[in-house]
Amino acid sequence: MDTGEVIADHVGVPTVVLFPTCLGDVVARQTVADAAQVLARLGFAVRHPRGATCCGQPAFNSGHDVPARAVARATLHALDDGSVDPILVPSGSCTSMVRLHWRELFHKTDDAEAALRIARRVRELSSFLAEQSSAIAALQPRLTARVAYHDSCHMLRELRIREEPRAVLATIEGVELVELAGGERCCGFGGTFSVRYPEVSVAMADAKLQELEPAGIDLLVSADPGCLMQLGGRLSREGSPVRAVHLATVLAEAIA
Amino acid sequence: MTDRASFLAAIRATPRGEDPGLPDRIQAPDAPTELRAGESPVERLVAETELVSAEPHRVARASVGEYVAELLRASGSTEVALTEDLAAQLVPIRTACEAVGVHADDYRVVATDRARASRLHATVTGCAAAVAATGSIVTTAAGAGRAGALIAPLHICVVEETQIVDGLHALFDGEALAGAGSLLALQSGPSRSADIEKVLILGVHGPGVVHLVIVGD
Amino acid sequence: MSVQEEVDGTPLPPGWSAPAHQPGAFELPTTTFRERAERTMARPFARTAIAGATDHAAELTWLKFEGVDHDGLRDQAKQIRAHAIANLPDYLEQWIDNAEANGTIVHFAADEVEARRIIAEICVDEQIASVVKSKSMASEEVSLNSALEGAGVDVFETDLGEFVVQAMGDRPGHVIAPILHRTKDEVHALFSEMAGRELPNEAEALTAFARAGLRHAFLTADGGISGGNFLIAETGEVMLVTNEGNGRLTTAAPRVHIALVGIEKVIPRRRDLPVLLPLLTGHGTGQQITTYVTITGGPRRGAEPDGPERTHVVLLDAGRSALLGGEFEEALHCIRCGACQNVCPVYRQVGGHAYGWVYGGPIGAVLTPLFRGQEEGGEVAQATTLCGACDDICPVRIPLHDLLLGLRRQRAEQAQTPRREQLAFAAWGAVWSRPRLYRASTVVGGAALRVLARGDAVSTRLPGLRRWTDGRDLLLRRGRG
Repeated sequence: MDTGEVIADHVGVPTVVLFPTCLGDVVARQTVADAAQVLARLGFAVRHPRGATCCGQPAFNSGHDVPARAVARATLHALDDGSVDPILVPSGSCTSMVRLHWRELFHKTDDAEAALRIARRVRELSSFLAEQSSAIAALQPRLTARVAYHDSCHMLRELRIREEPRAVLATIEGVELVELAGGERCCGFGGTFSVRYPEVSVAMADAKLQELEPAGIDLLVSADPGCLMQLGGRLSREGSPVRAVHLATVLAEAIA
Repeated sequence: MTDRASFLAAIRATPRGEDPGLPDRIQAPDAPTELRAGESPVERLVAETELVSAEPHRVARASVGEYVAELLRASGSTEVALTEDLAAQLVPIRTACEAVGVHADDYRVVATDRARASRLHATVTGCAAAVAATGSIVTTAAGAGRAGALIAPLHICVVEETQIVDGLHALFDGEALAGAGSLLALQSGPSRSADIEKVLILGVHGPGVVHLVIVGD
Repeated sequence: MSVQEEVDGTPLPPGWSAPAHQPGAFELPTTTFRERAERTMARPFARTAIAGATDHAAELTWLKFEGVDHDGLRDQAKQIRAHAIANLPDYLEQWIDNAEANGTIVHFAADEVEARRIIAEICVDEQIASVVKSKSMASEEVSLNSALEGAGVDVFETDLGEFVVQAMGDRPGHVIAPILHRTKDEVHALFSEMAGRELPNEAEALTAFARAGLRHAFLTADGGISGGNFLIAETGEVMLVTNEGNGRLTTAAPRVHIALVGIEKVIPRRRDLPVLLPLLTGHGTGQQITTYVTITGGPRRGAEPDGPERTHVVLLDAGRSALLGGEFEEALHCIRCGACQNVCPVYRQVGGHAYGWVYGGPIGAVLTPLFRGQEEGGEVAQATTLCGACDDICPVRIPLHDLLLGLRRQRAEQAQTPRREQLAFAAWGAVWSRPRLYRASTVVGGAALRVLARGDAVSTRLPGLRRWTDGRDLLLRRGRG
């Protein structure tokens, strides 16, 4: 998808850039496609940035700034396309990296200014969608499910985005949103943490997932592919009927 | 051995971090340990005392001695010590105790013998202040001694209404603590532990039962 | 054994000779966090208890500050701590001068070895044969108990939980709740063995057994050893908080009181306590205030009815001053409340022992590398998901997330990370910094995963994947299924 092609373009309509992130390129392609579809239905022209790779977070959070900077720089240059179009990221964690930590990563480098420029343009997808709530409602989204929303830690505690994804879910007729005990607790993904300490990571996922069945949850929704990879992967391994899906996918299904 | 000079010199040799400064006086913070606007100090003290599992009693000055003696008698306490911070209440309490057959010694005398102090059933102390917002009794080494308030299974503290301060800010910013001596102590309810499977147990090393006798006119 | 004499006509039960403290707590274990975590996770009770108790404590903390300006209070506390640490040499001098004027004998321990030696020597000079000890994390840092035993001094931990820890030869599992990871049945078995008879298996009876024995210890001990929650510069005092009353008795009953306190515990004034104290107790146990707050300033004076003849305070540096003015200075703001442990989703699963040294949870993951060095103690800084829950609750707003990240960076820069990790990130950086290679890697990687997948799920336990796939599928989500 990294071809820079215009997915949906109409003269005179607002354009957004959709940054797939590395997880979106490898394991969450459907999420990116769903996000693009929803945005197109809302009347946006959607561009994918040519040459964007990864935000650099896996190395940055492990303390390896040199490779983190090298990788992030490629993405930075790809995103810094001279436009002022909002850059939408279907991941709270990657948004947080670009918005908050890039300035640290590129501090005192030639790219410092560009990093600030991009930090100003980047938006977490669900908070962008929340602003489109009435346009979404006009599409009459409909999906019958008991839904639990899982807060991504970086989205919740670094970006302070809590209500927005819930507001988006509330536009869908038939969705019953349930708040779980310990709903704001980390799922145990933590990027490289998940493979450094797999047993602890899985135990943390289980602590969250054990809340689902008693609450009669059908759908576990999040806005972070990392959390979904963790929680969905564990649900799948345990043979659970509960699906873990991205908010963009829920919306795409609901307006299909 | 490191001495004072070299110990401090090593610390002084380090770079100095950013200093945000500190106001000379800190206003009463917006904290759970302060009174809310319009609250009555004595009523809050009564409420907080109950919340920390101690028992508040509001008693008229003239009957303090008899009231305390009756609390002691009813609890079956026969070995009792009184501390000097009871001040004007010391004699009435001792007299009333004798009248109901409770032997009340001076804590100063009992404290010279640790084994005897540990046999005490109860201590009766005054206080330097009581903190309304936390249900705390404030005692001093000069008044109740270090252990006067917690050496026995039962502690009765006599609090004058005029000794009640609003919260921690009023306590530490005010004059109530002048002349405290070598120890200043707050106690809020009975001694407690929840170390074993989070089950709350009262009366671990200190008293299991605490009464506040609040004296008003 | 000086405490085996009869007091109050009742002999001590036979098990009541000073319990052996584990030797070697001083050294960090050579095991990894992963190995240590597995040990706790293999004990279902410990896991359930740790999760339940920490959830409960965190909830109480949040409730306690409902309706007040929690963030404003934390800002004030942060300012006091930052000011005190920025002016640490001045406030320490002020504290020392005032403490000496109070009659306190002040000692200076540059490191843990010196702290052990100083306290052992005080015991010799003061002819102390047995001590009662109130919970002190600083004393855990220097493994004081084993040093005292080496010097022939009987040691009784008097905090109920610490007493159990000591008698079991265990280590505290939580800053505030040392035996969070132990069951009542375990305590019952231990105390029944000490008593030489079957005790009722109830918390109240078990507590009463400990109280009775420890009361003997209080009445006969020559020395009392405590830590200190704050050093108040303006008055030269040491403040202690406890709920059981053992802290106060430690400073009251024995002939000599010794406090071992980290230099960073200094605060300017008593009137800073209305900010710091409710934060300490509210974040430690969710209490408005702990049952006993004790502020001591030197030995018994003139006409006072009780108290020690002499008081010693040992100021402990042991790695603290090295942090001043540097990237990690804010770690010195910590007031040891334990709240970060209570909200940590990793600590919740693995408990305190997994962190390998004295402190667990987020602050342990910060202090262990700082106090013990990257080579010996650096691994635990990786053992968090950087979820940020600790930043949100810390009463003095220590940026734990940033400190953890800084420590990881330092570890990588010092090449303390495994060679394999360095190579992996270097290779990753070389490929993913070039869009064409990145593209190729996602195409090839994606194709490989599709070959391995059954349906949408990869569950094969191939060597490169099994750290993920041992417990989870890797979902490819080709459709919305």
